[in-house]
Amino acid sequence: MSTEGAELVIEGLSKTYPGGVRALRGVDLRIPPGMFGLLGPNGAGKSTLMRTIATLQDPDAGSIRLGELDVLRDKDAVRRVLGYLPQDFGVYPHLDALSLLDHFAVLKGITARGERRAVVEALLHRVNLWDKRKQKLGGFSGGMRQRFGIAQALLGDPRLIIVDEPTAGLDPQERSRFLNLLSEIGEHVVVLLSTHIVEDVADLCLQMAIIARGQVLRSGEPQRAVDELRGRTWKKVIAKDQLDEHEREHTVISTRLVGGRTVIHVFAEDAPGSAFEPVDPDLEDVYFTTLAKAA
Amino acid sequence: MLASFLRFELRFRLRQPAVWIFSVVFALLTFGAVTSDAVVIGGGTGQTAINAPFVITQMLGIMSAVSVVLVTAFVATTITRDFELGTDALFFTKPIRTRDLLLGRFAGAVLVASIVMVAAALGLAVGSLMPWLDPERVLPFSAAPYLHALGVFVLPNLLVMGSFFFAIATLTRRVLPAYVGVVAFFVIYSISDSFIGDLDNDTVAALADPFGLASLGISTRYWTVAERNSSLVPLTGELWLNRVVWLSLAAAVLAFTVRRFSISPRARKGAAAGGDAEPSRTDTPLVVVHPRHGLAVALHQAWHQLRVELGTVLRGKAFIVIALFGVLNVVGGALGTIDELFGTPVLPVTHLMVRVIDQVFALFVVIVITFYAGELVHRERQVGLHEVHDALPVPSWVPLLAKLAALCVAVLVLLGVAALTGIVLQLLQGYTHVEVPLYVEGLWGLSLSRWMLVCVLAVVFQVLVNHKYLGFLLMVLFFVSQAVLPALDLQHGLYRFGWASETPYSDMNGYGHFLGPSMWYRLYWWLFAVGLVLVANLMWVRGTDARFRLRLREARRRAGPATTVALAVVALGVFGVGAHILHETTVLSRYRTQDDQEAGAVRYEQSYREAWLHAPQPRVVAADLEVDIFPHRREVLLRGTIELLNRHDAPIDRLMVSVDPDLQVESLGLPDEALLEHDEELGVRIYRLEPALAPGARLPFPFSLRFSEEGFKNHGSSTQVVDNGTFFNSAWVPHFGYDPGQELSDPNERRKRGLPERERARPPTDMEARANTYITHEGDWIDFAATVSTTADQIALAPGYLVKEWQEGDRRYFRYEMDSPILDFYAFLSAEYVVARDAWGDVAIEVYHHPGHETNVPRMIDAVKKSLDYYTTNFSPYQHRQVRIVEFPRYASFAQSFPNTIPYSESIGFIADLRDPDAIDYVFYVTAHEVAHQWWAHQVIGGDVQGSTMLSESLSQYSALMVMEKEYGREKMRRFLEHELDRYLEGRGQETERELPLSLVENQQYVHYAKGSLVMYALRETMGEEVLDRVLADYIADVAFQAPPFTTALELVERIRAAMPERFAYLVEDLLETITLYDNRAISATATEQPDGRWKVELVLESHKLRADGEGAEQEVPLHDWLEVGVYGEEEGSEPLYLQWHRIEGERSELSVVVDQRPARAGIDPRVLFVDREPDDNLVRVELGG
Repeated sequence: MSTEGAELVIEGLSKTYPGGVRALRGVDLRIPPGMFGLLGPNGAGKSTLMRTIATLQDPDAGSIRLGELDVLRDKDAVRRVLGYLPQDFGVYPHLDALSLLDHFAVLKGITARGERRAVVEALLHRVNLWDKRKQKLGGFSGGMRQRFGIAQALLGDPRLIIVDEPTAGLDPQERSRFLNLLSEIGEHVVVLLSTHIVEDVADLCLQMAIIARGQVLRSGEPQRAVDELRGRTWKKVIAKDQLDEHEREHTVISTRLVGGRTVIHVFAEDAPGSAFEPVDPDLEDVYFTTLAKAA
Repeated sequence: MLASFLRFELRFRLRQPAVWIFSVVFALLTFGAVTSDAVVIGGGTGQTAINAPFVITQMLGIMSAVSVVLVTAFVATTITRDFELGTDALFFTKPIRTRDLLLGRFAGAVLVASIVMVAAALGLAVGSLMPWLDPERVLPFSAAPYLHALGVFVLPNLLVMGSFFFAIATLTRRVLPAYVGVVAFFVIYSISDSFIGDLDNDTVAALADPFGLASLGISTRYWTVAERNSSLVPLTGELWLNRVVWLSLAAAVLAFTVRRFSISPRARKGAAAGGDAEPSRTDTPLVVVHPRHGLAVALHQAWHQLRVELGTVLRGKAFIVIALFGVLNVVGGALGTIDELFGTPVLPVTHLMVRVIDQVFALFVVIVITFYAGELVHRERQVGLHEVHDALPVPSWVPLLAKLAALCVAVLVLLGVAALTGIVLQLLQGYTHVEVPLYVEGLWGLSLSRWMLVCVLAVVFQVLVNHKYLGFLLMVLFFVSQAVLPALDLQHGLYRFGWASETPYSDMNGYGHFLGPSMWYRLYWWLFAVGLVLVANLMWVRGTDARFRLRLREARRRAGPATTVALAVVALGVFGVGAHILHETTVLSRYRTQDDQEAGAVRYEQSYREAWLHAPQPRVVAADLEVDIFPHRREVLLRGTIELLNRHDAPIDRLMVSVDPDLQVESLGLPDEALLEHDEELGVRIYRLEPALAPGARLPFPFSLRFSEEGFKNHGSSTQVVDNGTFFNSAWVPHFGYDPGQELSDPNERRKRGLPERERARPPTDMEARANTYITHEGDWIDFAATVSTTADQIALAPGYLVKEWQEGDRRYFRYEMDSPILDFYAFLSAEYVVARDAWGDVAIEVYHHPGHETNVPRMIDAVKKSLDYYTTNFSPYQHRQVRIVEFPRYASFAQSFPNTIPYSESIGFIADLRDPDAIDYVFYVTAHEVAHQWWAHQVIGGDVQGSTMLSESLSQYSALMVMEKEYGREKMRRFLEHELDRYLEGRGQETERELPLSLVENQQYVHYAKGSLVMYALRETMGEEVLDRVLADYIADVAFQAPPFTTALELVERIRAAMPERFAYLVEDLLETITLYDNRAISATATEQPDGRWKVELVLESHKLRADGEGAEQEVPLHDWLEVGVYGEEEGSEPLYLQWHRIEGERSELSVVVDQRPARAGIDPRVLFVDREPDDNLVRVELGG
């Protein structure tokens, strides 16, 4: 079964946890090869969705297909083409980076010693851990560990890469290095990247989806979503105690502090008032507008 | 603030299930220990009440030792949990006082642990109220012993142990080191425990035991039943010191912890380690490699993961520490008291080292398996790597097998380390006969293959319950069940996981016939374990949603045809092998539990006692036997004729014949028509004699029996007929009449089964009982001859002289004939022997021993010669022309005297390590004792009444003592007698019925051996050796080889009384007719130098004389006795400066003596000639006065 250039199709995916938390409520998504960003606030169901695709748990209903592959049934086949970086992960603290990456390479199926060595060394260089390769993972900082996680996810020529909040804890330079690396790989394979950092998606992804409370609020190309919002986003500088009043009267999509003063963005078909001035929307406005509408 | 931390800790703990789970488990354990025989915790034996204060103290004391793990679990996590959960920053940044925080939480945790122990006490208290208990063994409830035990042992122990592990965990901020500390504690405990056997180290042992149990043992060692039932352990002496020392240590440790604990989060270790300067080239092109999959790859992956997992186990500090403690324990065990007799060690032969390792290492292997099964199975989850790991393209059996294999290899390494330790120890002791293959077979073969099953179980538990601590708990339950099931009479290995029948090793017989059956059990459980692994593979947790229902669904998905087929094959195998074992053990062989055997004894008594106990039966007067031994196929053909004689005045028309039900009867001497009754299970046949056997008439009783062990046994396979080292006795020929010896003897069991109380022995006045010797009920002096055959490579023996030896085909025949009557008591032996020959006058001395066991043979021969010297000079002539010592395998550990033939176990003399000239030469002693039996038993034998074993055993002890003293001197005797005093005092504490005076002894070993030695030695010291020997010689002259009625100890006592010097006359009553103990003590001794250079020693002495009844209740009696007063110089073991008998009146006496040299020690009864429960205070250091 070829997974080359295959599309990941998710249909009607639902999951309710034992405590009654409905993590996914009928999620439908089509994810073509290339970078796909999954935006959503904490608790939106992103990680549940990604773990489900990564064969780590089963949904209550729905289906996932990767090309011809039934992801929920043929887990072994999926694992062979999968590269997965979970949101939180630990390491064996007493092993060094080289040994553990080598170990993972074996478990990925790269059993020939020479090949494995080449793969592992190249990856360590790429994630900038070469000089730390003999260091015990227990002593790694959060960022270093994250880079190690990226390296293991890319082992073994994966066709389906799922990275959950990969940029968390990376400094700007490492973040851009990582995004470059991803986009290099992500031309022909499905890369599903979840984040709550809008910039990651804006910088990188051709396609994206916004999910919250287990539902897909919108999906599509980021640029088109931004275009849709053009001319309908307004901003105003207000005093802090005016916020309540504004929230009652307008659809406030975001509030932020700029130089110690509160700046709000609101969504409106027409200019909502004299004090508002139009802004050129960005993906963040799309994100917040989408969330605000759903609320 | 401290109080609020305490409250917080309490609230936190009490909300968690652990406290309540532990409370229930502990309460159930103590409840079970009181209410059933299934659970045994320390335990009072025999007449001690079920809820005696002593038992309560001991049980709670032991439980408090067990609770180390519990208290550690509570205290170790009090502080570390904040670090683990990352809440340390929250807590420790608040302005709080470290001391209050630490001590408050510590106190809370200890309090919670005490709740569990109170539950244990409650379980005990409630248990002893249960209606089904034997009311005679229950005392009315009293709170005092519980409070005493909780206050003196339990709470201090929790505080002590708690403080140590609290300190370790808090200062290292990790829980694991604390658990390693627990292991250390158990090692200290077991070492201290082995010290206690060594008399000189009492105080050290008492102090070294952090639980105070050694002190408890020492201060109650000689307690009688009455004391155990009524007294609380006094908080004095070593116990008090122990408590104070350990509590102070605990306080110091806590103080140290508070000082050293720093609240600021620990700086992370520097990142400098390891890395090199070469920077990453972040523009390196990625290398694309296509992964491979399939079985070969999966195997490679499993191998790789095994190495990674194993590395983490073996390199872990915990493992290294456990291995180290294990090694220490092996050293302690091997150098300790295993198989020691009278303080003399045995040679460090390899099978002994293997056995020591097996015993002392078990605890460590159990810890490693239980602990690391949890660690390995949950490792990814614990470090948070499971999401990555579980999404990797490996089949779930790869991690499962890798982890299981890593665990097994860890055990293999552990055992290897132990074996190396054993080898080093052997070499260090100058013993070079290291049998490496035995180590490999014993440890990596027999031991490891069973431990691996436990590994499987531990891993499968962890996988199935998917909760580390629940998995631990299941393992604990498993280990408990291992102990409990047999006690519930659920003994069959088919339902006891991991059971394999025992495989004892003997130099003579190797693993012998034990190996085969054991292998069947192993195969059975191995197949079962494979099945478990297959199931575990289906249930292996993968992913993030581990609800059981989902795992079942996933299991169904994983269960492909391969698994199904494999499971079916395994199930078939288990059933097939199980059926085979079942057939072997229950159909071919008789499977009898302890319960079955007791029920058989009950039926024997109930069916036959009334009708047959007094029924006249003919006597056995001669036996001529043909015994064909087939050692290699473990078979014996036992044929011959026993001649019976009616010595009664009336004709006998009924004959009761018993044949051991393990033997097959091919024919018996009477026609089947005469058979009136036949109980196959008991092997009892009742015949009608027609015509009746007239008075004075003889009845030849021919028989043909066959022994062959059909099938195999679940355990306890018979050891009489083995490949090399066959040894069985006359129990296997047919027996006649009712034998009270077959009755159930344990009074508690009898009560439970509704049998009337039973006398252990009849009084000496019972003339009917005195018609028999105490050895058999059917004959006395018989004519004996036997033809014994065996394979060509072996020598077969029986009592008598070899009159002919020949070979027929591949069999060797030996004809033995006795030229004088012997007791109706004989044995047959066969093995590949080397024979050492010597002679004493015209008496031939032969030692038949295993090749390689010649080290101590010359000593045996020497002892035989010196014994014959003494006994023939002082007692009477030797009735035989030969003394033969014949070695038999170590399955039993004794030597036994048959007429002119002494079977001698390979474990008690042949491998004794007598290289230390100071060691007590027990080979010499045992040999002299057995040779003495040729007089005391084979010439003079008592009737079947109280006191008769004094005649055989105490007199043999005396005889051996005299031979030994001539050889080794008085000082050695003193040390030997110290052991005997200890053995006696300990033995009386464990009496199950009642103690009797020596002259009325009821086959009680601590009386007729240990007290016998002491009493006879005291008699010799008071009446003089010549006088005593004269008495004995006269006695022999009068009663040797006598016809019924047989003599009793009372007849000897009268002769001793008559010969006793006037001033010691009271001793006959004290030593022989009552239980008399002294409490002699030197209070002070002061010496002043006299003008003439001599020294005047003024002594203050205290003496009490006590009479005890059979239960041990003591009463002080007035004292007007002669006791030795002695003064000694500085040099240990030198001749006394003064040693004289003094008449001591009343409890306190002051006297002074003058000696020539500067005195060092002085006191009363310094040689401890008389039984004294505190022999150490008889001497005191001499103070030098102005």
